[in-house]
Amino acid sequence: MSSRPPSHFARIALLLFLVLLAPVLKHLLEASMTTQMLVQIPLLVSVGLLLARAVPARWNAALANYDHAGINGLILATLIMALWMLPRALDASITAPPIAVTKYLSIPLLIGLPFALSWPRMSFIVRGVFLLELIATFFRMGWLYLIWPDRLCNNYLLGDQQRLGKYLIVIGTILLLWVAAKLLWGRMDSFAETPPSPPQLAADSGARHLDHGTPG
Amino acid sequence: MSATELYPANEVLPRNERIVFNLYVISVLVVLVLMMLFGLTMRMAQGTWINVPPDLFYQLMTAHGAGMVGTVGLASSAVMWFFLRKYVRLSLAIFATNYVLFVLGALAILASVFIGKYAGAWTFLYPLPVHAMNVWSPHAAALFMLGYLLIGVGFLLFYLDAMLAMIRVYGNLGRALGLQWLFGGNIDPAHPKTVVASAMVAITNSIGTLAGAVVLVMCLVNIYFPAFTLNALLVKNLTYLFGHMFINASIYMGVIAVYELLPRYSGRPYAISRPFLWSWAASLVMVLIVYPHHLMMDYAMPQWMVIMGQIISYCAGLPVFTVTVYGALTNIYRSGMRWPTPAKLLILSMFGWAAGIVPAIIDGTITVNKVMHNTQWVPGHFHFYLLLGVLPMVLALMFHVIGSRAQEPDRATDKLGFPLYLVGGLVFVFAFLAAGHDSVPRRFAVHLPQWLLTDQVGSIGAILVIAGMLLLATRIVTGLLKAPVHADPAHAAG
Amino acid sequence: MPILRTLLASLMLMVAGGFVLSAATDHFRAFTTETARRIEVHEHPVAVPDVLLETASGAHIDMAGFRGKWLLVDFIYTRCPTYCVALGGEFAQLQDRLATPLAQGRLQLLSISFDPENDTPTELAAYQQRFRNRGPGWLAARPVTAQGLGQLKRAFGITVIPDTFGGYIHNAAIHLVDPQGRLIEIVDMGNPDILAQDVVRSLDR
Repeated sequence: MSSRPPSHFARIALLLFLVLLAPVLKHLLEASMTTQMLVQIPLLVSVGLLLARAVPARWNAALANYDHAGINGLILATLIMALWMLPRALDASITAPPIAVTKYLSIPLLIGLPFALSWPRMSFIVRGVFLLELIATFFRMGWLYLIWPDRLCNNYLLGDQQRLGKYLIVIGTILLLWVAAKLLWGRMDSFAETPPSPPQLAADSGARHLDHGTPG
Repeated sequence: MSATELYPANEVLPRNERIVFNLYVISVLVVLVLMMLFGLTMRMAQGTWINVPPDLFYQLMTAHGAGMVGTVGLASSAVMWFFLRKYVRLSLAIFATNYVLFVLGALAILASVFIGKYAGAWTFLYPLPVHAMNVWSPHAAALFMLGYLLIGVGFLLFYLDAMLAMIRVYGNLGRALGLQWLFGGNIDPAHPKTVVASAMVAITNSIGTLAGAVVLVMCLVNIYFPAFTLNALLVKNLTYLFGHMFINASIYMGVIAVYELLPRYSGRPYAISRPFLWSWAASLVMVLIVYPHHLMMDYAMPQWMVIMGQIISYCAGLPVFTVTVYGALTNIYRSGMRWPTPAKLLILSMFGWAAGIVPAIIDGTITVNKVMHNTQWVPGHFHFYLLLGVLPMVLALMFHVIGSRAQEPDRATDKLGFPLYLVGGLVFVFAFLAAGHDSVPRRFAVHLPQWLLTDQVGSIGAILVIAGMLLLATRIVTGLLKAPVHADPAHAAG
Repeated sequence: MPILRTLLASLMLMVAGGFVLSAATDHFRAFTTETARRIEVHEHPVAVPDVLLETASGAHIDMAGFRGKWLLVDFIYTRCPTYCVALGGEFAQLQDRLATPLAQGRLQLLSISFDPENDTPTELAAYQQRFRNRGPGWLAARPVTAQGLGQLKRAFGITVIPDTFGGYIHNAAIHLVDPQGRLIEIVDMGNPDILAQDVVRSLDR
């Protein structure tokens, strides 16, 4: 756990957010589907992730009562992410200012923040299911973008869409390899506990063996 | 603890565990017999001994395929659970959840086949499920796929729990697999072979499930948004990666019973060795990349993948033969082994696996596959593996468990059931292989007169198998439902 | 109990999420802007703005002048190597299939350029000529002012973005406007026969 004070993270989050708001950068990142989905949106999520470190422990503890095993943070983040995966949402976020505002507020606060708060509470199995579905979604979305003959977004070119599809498949593959490597060779201290003693053996006397004849 | 103690105390099933385990075993046996009856119906229909309309034939074929593959997977996951829980702490709640999700998925599949009339085979090959020619609705196909998704989620949860449990004890899955001993070092002689096998299956079948999750959702999207067409070859690749992995996982989970139980019946410990570790590590990789042997007839496949399918098919036989089967044989050679039913089943399973590999490797040769793949040679090969390989492994555990409770040794029914099963199984399987050799096509509801002989011989074999299976299953079920205490007369308390 | 509270919260989240996603996709029917605008126009017809156009022959006409006739409108630019070529060919085919209502003056085919700077009347005439314009019934025109173009793009939901070859990419479709000047239907190009049948049916109603 970092020893920096919460305000440190809040400041970095705010700085990142303001940088992303800057018209020049915003325009640049929204110029192509690839950069909006793979750069701008992940950075906005990161704003939320950083903000989570600034949340006071008391509030987090209160939230935990409604967030057993981190399920609800995950559900909320997933639902809002599904919303921003809709092509028309991305389109509208460029052309309609109210939608743009919604994007800039909802992605950090309703995706990044709840996810980061819930992650420590999530059990191995919840994380495992989440990661598998995340990888599967990258593959499915990449596949979708590669094969869809028309442009899904009115504001972006077809070549852009195809390139994004390829990148999504690559990212999914990298994620898969990373998870596999972590499981095979990693150190997962957060799950370590003293090895459980298997049910203790009763006294060996009277233990049944098969009656074996002498060999040969 | 003696490695050859027949019923170690750490295998005793406490009350709740016993209930769930019994649920697994009894459900598996009931469904297996039902699926066998479906299969018998198909063989007799092909042999013109009964009259079955073709669309019902294909429904039965679909249900039989999905039902057998799923149920054998469920059964061998019970085998894995039974033994793995001695070494790591598994969650009973998750084990029960796997069962519940399986049942829900199975119900969805049965409903889609017998109510929705979905008959697109267990492989749901795109675009067949959506080109039903009005025999079934798109919703029936979607329900079928939803059934698979439910079963997949159940298994995923089971494997994640197993992975967590192994990571807690061994640090990571690489150490559970014993990878650190591949190139040297002193292998811990107490390192359980069960853990090695379980780690391998948890990893590989999770990847197979991932492939299934991707392809099933894409097919579902295609059903409801038909404008969204998929690349059929890509779908087929993913379908077979998922399906091949799932059915192989059941063999790799089932063989845990051999590693654990055989030494107890032979009286001779079955030590872990470096070749053992190597064969499981190699199989981990090979089982994932060998699936193109299902696609050798797809001439659009990249050449290198098909060749890899052949080469790896050949290589995959090596670990089986040189480690497991050879190891089993050397374990029992001149060991003064006695032969109660579990022991007979275990050795039968070794024969089934080893001998079953031969038609598989033959068909795994590209030049042969081109003429053999659509013949009954293929069902010959996989029924060999499953009927004479995996199923005996599972039955061996079941008999072993009831043996720990029974006061009396093998009954007459066992002495009859096993030979019936064995002889029937051999007749049944060799009828398929002979038919394949004669180029009888597979998956045909209506057969030409010249094919009827092998169909009828196969039907007789199937009848014998089912008779044997009924005897064995009845014995198991009554044995399981008996008094649960550890009925060893030498033990004071249960 | 945290578990019960959590489950309750999960239920509420999923219900709320369902509502939000349903609203965002017009009840799970429209995931793309294109589909959305088609559904929108079908359910809430849009009044076509009264914009002044200059035709291929140099004449001036405004959109209100088409009242009383059915309009099939497409948006093009004459240098377009892709969709507009298909659109042009399709309009020529529609001229054939819908010859009778066109001759009766009950229907008008209108191609509007969204690149008025380059698409002068000459260019527009040449564009029509490329598709062997059958004569009356098909007008190619460009908006006279930039505001007019903007109003048309907004009303018809046209998005134009530069492609990387110096041209434009745009969402191409055929738009049906009724005699009261309302956009009531947006149809995919590529099915001139079906479109012709639909138009004839609308005319007869």
